[in-house]
Amino acid sequence: MKFESDPTLVDFVRTEVVPEGTSFRALHENRVAVRINAEDADRLAGRFMSRFNARLIHETAVDMEVEGFDMVYIYDFSKVKDRLVVVLEARISKDDPSPPSIAKITWQASWAEREIHDLLGISPRGTPDPRKQFLPYEWPNAAESGAAPPPPEKGPSGPQEKWIPLGIAPNDAYATLIPIGPYHPGVIEGQTVYVKVEGETVVSADIKTGFHHRGIQKLIERRGYHKGVFAAERVCGICSAAHGLAYVTACENLYEAEVPDRALYLRTLLLELNRVHSHLLWIGVVADVIGWKTGFHLSWGIRERVMDIIESITGNRVNYGIWRIGGMSRDVSKELAERVLPAVKALKAEMAQLLPEIAAHSVVKSRLVGVGPLSYADAFDGGAVGPVARASNWRIDVRADNPPHAMYDPKVISWEVVTDEGCDTYGRTLVRVKELLVSSEIIIQCLEYLAKTTGDIRLEPKVIPVNSEGIGLNEAPRGELVHYVRASEFNMNLPQAYRIRTPSYRNNALIPKMLVGANLADVPVVMGSTDQCLACTDRFEVIREGGGASQSMSWGELVALGRRGRFGRV
Amino acid sequence: MVDHVFTILSIALIIPISLFLGVMYSFLIRKLSARFQWRVGPIVRMYGDLAPVIGSTRIWQPLYDILKLFGKDALIPSTAHKRLFTWSPYLSLFFSFAAVLFIPFPGLPLLSGTPYSLIIASYLLIASILFTILGPAASGSPWGAIGARREVELFLVAELSFVASLFVVAVTKGTLVISELAGFVGSIPMMLVTALAGITMFAAMLGKLHIKPFDMPEAECEIVAGPYTEYSGKLLGTYFLAKVFVLYNMVALFIAVFLPPLSSSVLWLPLYVVAALVLIFLLAVVHVLNPRYTIAKALMWYTKIIVPLVIVGFIAAFFLRVVA
Amino acid sequence: MSTHIKILKQVIQKYSSPMTLNYPSSIDKKRMYSQIPEGLRGFLERDEEKCVGCRACYMVCSGRATKIFDTADKRTVQVFHFRCTYCAHCEECCPEDAIKLTSKFELAVTDRNDPKAYVNTDLKMLSCKACNKPYLPEKMQKRVFERLSEKINPKVKGVVVEDYHKTEGFCPECKRVRGVLLDTHTKKHIWLEVV
Repeated sequence: MKFESDPTLVDFVRTEVVPEGTSFRALHENRVAVRINAEDADRLAGRFMSRFNARLIHETAVDMEVEGFDMVYIYDFSKVKDRLVVVLEARISKDDPSPPSIAKITWQASWAEREIHDLLGISPRGTPDPRKQFLPYEWPNAAESGAAPPPPEKGPSGPQEKWIPLGIAPNDAYATLIPIGPYHPGVIEGQTVYVKVEGETVVSADIKTGFHHRGIQKLIERRGYHKGVFAAERVCGICSAAHGLAYVTACENLYEAEVPDRALYLRTLLLELNRVHSHLLWIGVVADVIGWKTGFHLSWGIRERVMDIIESITGNRVNYGIWRIGGMSRDVSKELAERVLPAVKALKAEMAQLLPEIAAHSVVKSRLVGVGPLSYADAFDGGAVGPVARASNWRIDVRADNPPHAMYDPKVISWEVVTDEGCDTYGRTLVRVKELLVSSEIIIQCLEYLAKTTGDIRLEPKVIPVNSEGIGLNEAPRGELVHYVRASEFNMNLPQAYRIRTPSYRNNALIPKMLVGANLADVPVVMGSTDQCLACTDRFEVIREGGGASQSMSWGELVALGRRGRFGRV
Repeated sequence: MVDHVFTILSIALIIPISLFLGVMYSFLIRKLSARFQWRVGPIVRMYGDLAPVIGSTRIWQPLYDILKLFGKDALIPSTAHKRLFTWSPYLSLFFSFAAVLFIPFPGLPLLSGTPYSLIIASYLLIASILFTILGPAASGSPWGAIGARREVELFLVAELSFVASLFVVAVTKGTLVISELAGFVGSIPMMLVTALAGITMFAAMLGKLHIKPFDMPEAECEIVAGPYTEYSGKLLGTYFLAKVFVLYNMVALFIAVFLPPLSSSVLWLPLYVVAALVLIFLLAVVHVLNPRYTIAKALMWYTKIIVPLVIVGFIAAFFLRVVA
Repeated sequence: MSTHIKILKQVIQKYSSPMTLNYPSSIDKKRMYSQIPEGLRGFLERDEEKCVGCRACYMVCSGRATKIFDTADKRTVQVFHFRCTYCAHCEECCPEDAIKLTSKFELAVTDRNDPKAYVNTDLKMLSCKACNKPYLPEKMQKRVFERLSEKINPKVKGVVVEDYHKTEGFCPECKRVRGVLLDTHTKKHIWLEVV
């Protein structure tokens, strides 16, 4: 299938959406890049939100070396025109990098602006929350870093106050501050949620990420397009298919892409298998968080069979490594498709029977109904995505609005967007349970197609042009996922900038909102209900091998370390 | 004189027996819940060529887990009240073991013939649980404090139902000595009242043994290890050992109070074992089938369902015994 | 209560067949699930006969697991399994089809210097006749020559082969220096073709 764009869109954008723009450029596939004056950014944001009901996908910045920074604002206009994405770009100087903040207009940009400040030192003017996002709060600012360290503070104003901007004095005797994390059994990955409780009721909460920021964006920028896909897959171990697909979609956006149909079906197949295993994993995790090990084992028992199917299709269990720019690297043979098909059908029947039973369990219900409320208005302003948004009765799904380079054409594959009116954790559970059944229906259709036909799965890769931009949108199991790639102006192998905005990045920002008023026992449930994936939020880690001192340890050293007592005795 | 010698001998005998049975019961709960959860659990007969490496059976796994802790350093947090923190586990173990001596085992009446042995046994059990609250409360950790607080809340309702169900039986049979319960044969209404008390006693056991849905004091995902957060090494091992004895005590007391003939003579031993197995099986099934309640909902459940039941039982027993 | 009973039924169904397998003794038992699929990508194997040391796998390796070490008389192509991501990109790109990812999956070793963690292929290096520096594996030179002679325009084949034999044994640098001396200008066959 060839991915074409509508040529009239540039005119539409020029006349109706952004008349202030200075230059307009049609990117591939209905994406329009508009260069604007940086001072207009906040005014435009307000207008997009109110008049066009547009959604901010991401705000980021690109370092253009001597020319300054490029602020990039990506808006989704798919409710106005089919698949339209408007990319606003504004050049700002490096001497005084302070464009107007758009987080004061729409709260969802606040994490993005904090991240820009962390990564590039740009401090948006008037941003509501100027704290560090990924760096520790104690980290010196760019201006301070060269100077001598500040003298240690005296009295009670220690580092603790920097960590807890909760509005309650630490001396309040009746309120207890409880740190959930960085490493807590309820949430496996590293993040800190500080909750202030009175008795067992949460009165305020705050979240801090950045415990394993891994610099994956930089890694992809330095590895090139074809190797980058393997790094992109490793952003997250659970939704690796979603990241792989978003990466190849972004890179194929850079040029006039053509992907064979069979590869598109394969991509859909993998993405949906991935969604099934991720949702099953989530149901298991929530069952575990509410203390039901049996529910955990029931759903993970089913998930294990999905993983086996994935393994026999791709050859790997977690990071499939078969995504390629311009197609796929591995085909599903007729025999394999025919063998997998009955297994998937059996799985679907079993899920359709078991999962509603789990959801209808009286104690499960008593733990989930009404917990972690998030109204539609809060979800819209906070920029919730994925099942969290859909459980607040907001019908967004990238697969329907702005599909990635996979087969989601409603004419070919019948599927539907699942929403729920619950606005709570139980609603999120129901959305995921229903999505599991929809996904397995899509999988069955894909397998039927693959068993019937044969064909190419990959076209010769084209030369990736310089000076282009690509946006890969994809519906990961947790919600909308964005990969933004800007090709270098002179190098055909390396991108100038690579940016990833993951779904958990948006949903995690909403956790403090959902937590207020909850019972302490419900905190892990609420945190879990967004299906947070901190590996996604914090991205990649590079362990340097070789170089000076090696950081890895041999078996003997590990044993010696394990046997060493508290006082260093062996 | 002969009596005294026999009592001392039987006390010496009950130590290994109660430890063995306690470990067995915890093994069974682990194994059954594992199999219900599609897992393997501690392996009874080791497979393949692993037997020479790790032994031919893992029936003793719960005991190994405790013994392992005794080989580790115990850390005492600087914020803790040291004396209370250090002594609580030992006192908890002491009281739970002391309770063993007042509950009869088939063929070993032990001290169950002492006046008021029913009250003594139940209060020793309460004291044991009390020290699992005091130690954590003295640890200075917020998790320990919350765990202890939940334990107290649960303790109030579960203990109420526990003691009240015991008293229903005591009132029905007109005695507070455990060994005398066996000699009493009641009418059918009395049996019904006893059965009702058995049900409430079972519900109280769920709370006391932290069987799901009532394991919120040690809810791992919510409050780390709850009361045991700051405990490590020997102290934690002592707590776990105390739990093993409490498990044995609860099962033994249940049988001694509600199926009294079974623990009277050594001939009843096979039936005693069967009854214990059934009880453990029921506990495991409840454990497997339920998620954890929040503490508020657990209190609600006890006060709305179990406490009224106990009160009904109490009134019925009183009516049967005193009025009729 | 009714859901409790339904779930109890579900749970009891699987009582006798737990999902977890005894490892390693149940690995080869035939079961519906949890067995090693045919297409599993595991331990990398390199056919030493076929490998010519062309560095294609080194160029595409995204995890930098493949490394090339050149010494005076041999080139070592190495894959370090701790870094391998099993993406099979090298298998795809190998011009000689020497690399194959097998379904062996028990790769754990306790020491990173354990030889089991490495797949090494040693190739004899050619040293330059003039400057005595190693420049190309012997096999690669042979293979390149074979491929070249298959595909080359038959008109100019004679000259090219003749030139090839003239410069055999010189490294590219020395070859370039001796171009005039040996009369091996790279473009001369174009002239031949024109005539």
